[in-house]
Amino acid sequence: MTNHWIDIRNSDCILIMGSNAAENHPISMKWVGKAMDKGATLISVDPRFTRTSSKADIYAPLRSGTDIAFLGGMMNYILSNNKFHKEYAANYTNASFIVGSEFDFKDGLFAGYDPKKKKYDKSKWAFEKDGNGVPKRDLTLKDPRCVFQLMKKHYSRYTPKTVSSITGTPEKDLKKVWEPYAKTGAADKTGTIMYAMGWTQHTVGVQNIRMMAMIQLLLGNMGRPGGGVNALRGESNVQGSTDHCLLFHILPGYLKTPRASNDSLAAYNKKWTPKTSDPLSANWWGNTPKYSVSFLKSMFGEAATQENNFGYSWLPKIDDGKTYSWLDIFDEMYQGKFKGFFAWGQNPACSGANSNKTRQAMAKLDWMVNVNIFDNETASFWKGPGMKPDEIKTEVFFLPCYTSVEKEGSITNSGRWMQWRYAASKPPRGCKSDGDIMVELFEKVRELYETDGKFPEPIKNMRWDYVKDGKFDAHAIAKLVNGYFEKDATVKGKSFKKGTLVPSFAYLLDDGSTSSGNWLYCNSYTEKGNMAARREKKDPTGMGLYPEWSWCWPVNRRIIYNRASVDLNGKPWSANKNILEYKDGKWVGDVPDGGWPPMSNKEKTKRPFIMKPDGVASVFGPGRADGPLPEHYEPLECPVPKNLMSSQRMNPVAPVYGTEADAHLSCDPRFPFVGTTYRVTEHWQTGILTRWQPWLLETQPQLFVEMSNELAKLKGINNGDMCKVSSARGKVEAVAMVTGRFKPMTVQGLTVHQVGLPWCFGWIYPKDGGDSANLLTPSTGDPNTRIPETKAFMVNVEKLGKRRA
Amino acid sequence: MALTRREFLKWSGTAGAAAAAMCLGFDLKPVQSYAADLKILKAKETTTICPYCAVGCGLIAHTKKSGKLLNAEGDPDHPINEGALCAKGAALYQMTVNKNRMKNPLYRAPESDEWEEIEWDDALQKIAEKIKETRDATFTEQNDNGQVVNRTTGIAHVGSAALDNEECWLLQGIMRAMGLVYIEHQARI
Amino acid sequence: MAGKFFFIDTTRCTACRGCQIACKQYKKHSASKTKQYGSYQNPLDLDGNTFRLVRFSEHPSKENSMVWYFFTEACRHCLKPPCKKKVDQIKKDAIIVNEFGAVLYTEKMKGLEKSSKAIKQACPWSIPNWSKEEKQMVKCNMCYDRVEAGLPTACAKACPTGALNFGDEADMKKLAQERLAAVKKKFGGRGEILDLEDVRALYLIIDEQAKYRPVA
Repeated sequence: MTNHWIDIRNSDCILIMGSNAAENHPISMKWVGKAMDKGATLISVDPRFTRTSSKADIYAPLRSGTDIAFLGGMMNYILSNNKFHKEYAANYTNASFIVGSEFDFKDGLFAGYDPKKKKYDKSKWAFEKDGNGVPKRDLTLKDPRCVFQLMKKHYSRYTPKTVSSITGTPEKDLKKVWEPYAKTGAADKTGTIMYAMGWTQHTVGVQNIRMMAMIQLLLGNMGRPGGGVNALRGESNVQGSTDHCLLFHILPGYLKTPRASNDSLAAYNKKWTPKTSDPLSANWWGNTPKYSVSFLKSMFGEAATQENNFGYSWLPKIDDGKTYSWLDIFDEMYQGKFKGFFAWGQNPACSGANSNKTRQAMAKLDWMVNVNIFDNETASFWKGPGMKPDEIKTEVFFLPCYTSVEKEGSITNSGRWMQWRYAASKPPRGCKSDGDIMVELFEKVRELYETDGKFPEPIKNMRWDYVKDGKFDAHAIAKLVNGYFEKDATVKGKSFKKGTLVPSFAYLLDDGSTSSGNWLYCNSYTEKGNMAARREKKDPTGMGLYPEWSWCWPVNRRIIYNRASVDLNGKPWSANKNILEYKDGKWVGDVPDGGWPPMSNKEKTKRPFIMKPDGVASVFGPGRADGPLPEHYEPLECPVPKNLMSSQRMNPVAPVYGTEADAHLSCDPRFPFVGTTYRVTEHWQTGILTRWQPWLLETQPQLFVEMSNELAKLKGINNGDMCKVSSARGKVEAVAMVTGRFKPMTVQGLTVHQVGLPWCFGWIYPKDGGDSANLLTPSTGDPNTRIPETKAFMVNVEKLGKRRA
Repeated sequence: MALTRREFLKWSGTAGAAAAAMCLGFDLKPVQSYAADLKILKAKETTTICPYCAVGCGLIAHTKKSGKLLNAEGDPDHPINEGALCAKGAALYQMTVNKNRMKNPLYRAPESDEWEEIEWDDALQKIAEKIKETRDATFTEQNDNGQVVNRTTGIAHVGSAALDNEECWLLQGIMRAMGLVYIEHQARI
Repeated sequence: MAGKFFFIDTTRCTACRGCQIACKQYKKHSASKTKQYGSYQNPLDLDGNTFRLVRFSEHPSKENSMVWYFFTEACRHCLKPPCKKKVDQIKKDAIIVNEFGAVLYTEKMKGLEKSSKAIKQACPWSIPNWSKEEKQMVKCNMCYDRVEAGLPTACAKACPTGALNFGDEADMKKLAQERLAAVKKKFGGRGEILDLEDVRALYLIIDEQAKYRPVA
């Protein structure tokens, strides 16, 4: 979230699309309700009428996988009716930038497409630059090659009629959504978007979100209270685990994982430190070397020296251009390419797309470690449905761990608040905390490498001074994540002794004088104490920022890009939306995105989007794998023979995997219905924690498949009947929930039925609960993120003769 | 951890009501009143944050002196949820006090159709040995282009968004120190 | 009569079921083995372990094509409880009303199995149920122990949206009237408070009662 939960109350129009907040983030509705009490409009756009829809002022259905068309139409409406916030768009976004003459878009393809490699040459999308290397602009937004005009042309194709025949949303419903939302382009109004996996889990996931981000930017909603682009993150610490980068492509703090071609620390820093020629751009990522060296110091401590490039060679490198993502892991595991596997606090046998492939893949391992609180479909995969234990060689270790109330540490919520938790209850004998398991395991590995072993340096040199008596200490690591002065140093005129905690990332250095496990968290645990543990409930702005309750990254900034909430003179765009103001030569309110004076001070100012090399937000995104402007493509599996927007049926650069477990079929009479997956309030993710809890299981005991009355009639299914739901990859048995909340849609003149299933069940428990809906979903995904496309695929539904016992 | 006296206790203007209620008589105690002595008022209170979705609601865990969890309910001082909880959050107690919890490390041998119990030390020692054996057998110092990569592609890791920040940091640290590049978790799906 | 009241604003309920589970959690009730039968609602009805239940009811509608109503059901704590009237005929003062107005089933209710049907029928909403574990009729006790200590009921405390409120009579009645006015404005004049003069659980609804819960 660029904003935070409480800030939703400051909104005038709340669009919940690509998420079902009332179901999956129930407490968010408290703040939605507060906004509505003040007159805000709530809009729910969803293939199915949901718990969220039940509270909405406006509901519009759409076919799963067609969000770009829906929003492209909104963009067209905004641009052609002049509903955008012109001063904001011209000054704070790249709408005014002139795009190079090589850029083109024809029949669904952007310039630079290589059909053999299924890849774009992104250099064709570059901006035109002046003699100083600064992108050329036309602040009047009239130049035919400026981003604004290119966008206008691109989205003029998304007429209400075309959009409606793609999305299945009646034309009148489209306008019912577009009109009120576009009204937030007024300076005294803000609109917010609450989205989640309903947008990410598509072959066009990134562009779904970009499309909305572009709308937010043109309406002037970014950086402002009641605005922003708000991803409702689904796990208690998925924000923190992402910030700390348990991901192949990034190191803590979103530093890039070194590529094989980055053959030295200098080469790495050169490659990944963005440059700008614009004196008004802060280009914050220009500090990358300070953060990468401080990270290495936290990894390797005193062993990391200037002479050995701070141990850079001890970090593993990935090959340039190769991806090592979730989908790749299970594709390669399926092909027998791994020997060992850790599934730590995760249940991939149910959670990833195409569970049959995942489960079969695990049978090809030599060994596997699963750390969890309860038994689960991953740990016990070898005795699951269709498995023959006597043919499976995989050795499995199951390690039982503590629950959240049995250990101490912090988690970071969706609004980027790092909140400290304490150990409350005594854990059962026989369990260990995850932290202690890590410490003890690594100490044993290190012991083995005392005598011999390949390339032992990183193992031997890993910093370990935060471990005391073989025990994990959350405070000690939280301090290391913040960072220390590793020697006496003077920064910005202040002197610091060795061993002092670094006050904020502005004080980090690239010469080895500082460590910081994650520069974004530098300022979270300082000499003033553990900021995440703060419980002071002051609200000086009256806008719900609570700056002394816990701590949020970066540097306790509660709304990021907040310098875009003010005009060029530093005054809030409107008085009722004041979280930050430039008064008497200083900023008052939230922690500003950099302390420079506002834009009217042309000598000293910096542009507000400080993380972007050009200092402005990118409505045109030349860095994306699949094009600088979002374009509608059909999902890998879809019910229509063609894409009405172009002859590219699906995203031309989306990854598609080729094992026999990766079958996919579009417009096939065997799988005629659009399928989608979702969660329920009462279970969490695969249900691994909640299915074992009698109170929750009582409320949602078994897998169900929701379908319209019309489809049920067509298939002779009654409410409560047992059904088989199948796709090209797998099948599940589910209880029919026949409902008016799903309705057939008319798409390209065809009647399209949609069905949906929650993915919170699994074979291990309860025995009559049904299995994972991910048995149906395909291994394909977004070309930028490789998040799987589990929200739109094709299925069949048939009535079974029996009811589940 | 020091907790200030909270609104929790100030909620209603019915001070002294408990004493008045005693007058109802000795044999009139309603059933279903295991908590009639209101154990939560005497229990130790510890603040925590809900482990499910990322709204980050605050809870108060009530524990006995023995460390046994008695009750968990919303933290009324927490500015996000102000004491409220959804079904999952309200059931937090049952994730911890649950007879279905696994309370011993388990080992499944190749081709076996059953789990066997294993001591912690044995389990971790065996895993460490597997790591070393696999790492040493699959370690790549240089890739096909002759570039230095210093990695193992024989081991993959997934998880976890359910871990604390400090655990996440340490986990990425030890996995990377061991040379893993296939490191992923819930954020990717 | 003074005392405590619930005010339930059904227009605010999102069916998160925080109240349903918070009740079980506080009281440490056990769960029943249930089945998916084609609805989000479970259990099917209040039972010996379930003193509060969120009912789900969907209906076609002109606005937004659908309405999906949620109704958090529990004992209304009647001002003149018919269940007490009934039971007093069998065993005097087995049901008592405490100073807050909570209608409480005491241990004297044990052994009235034969009358259980009659007691249930005496309730206009069929709320009480026979508990096999307790061997008596049971229902919501207004968390009388919490209320005595100045705490809100477990269910009302859990509610995120202001759908389920609990407090002093005057406060709840005032809130009910304010919300009724606001709801009428928003929903074109629709809105009513059920049984205003008879119960301590005031429900604000915007449609026929039968669209929220089974009505005899």
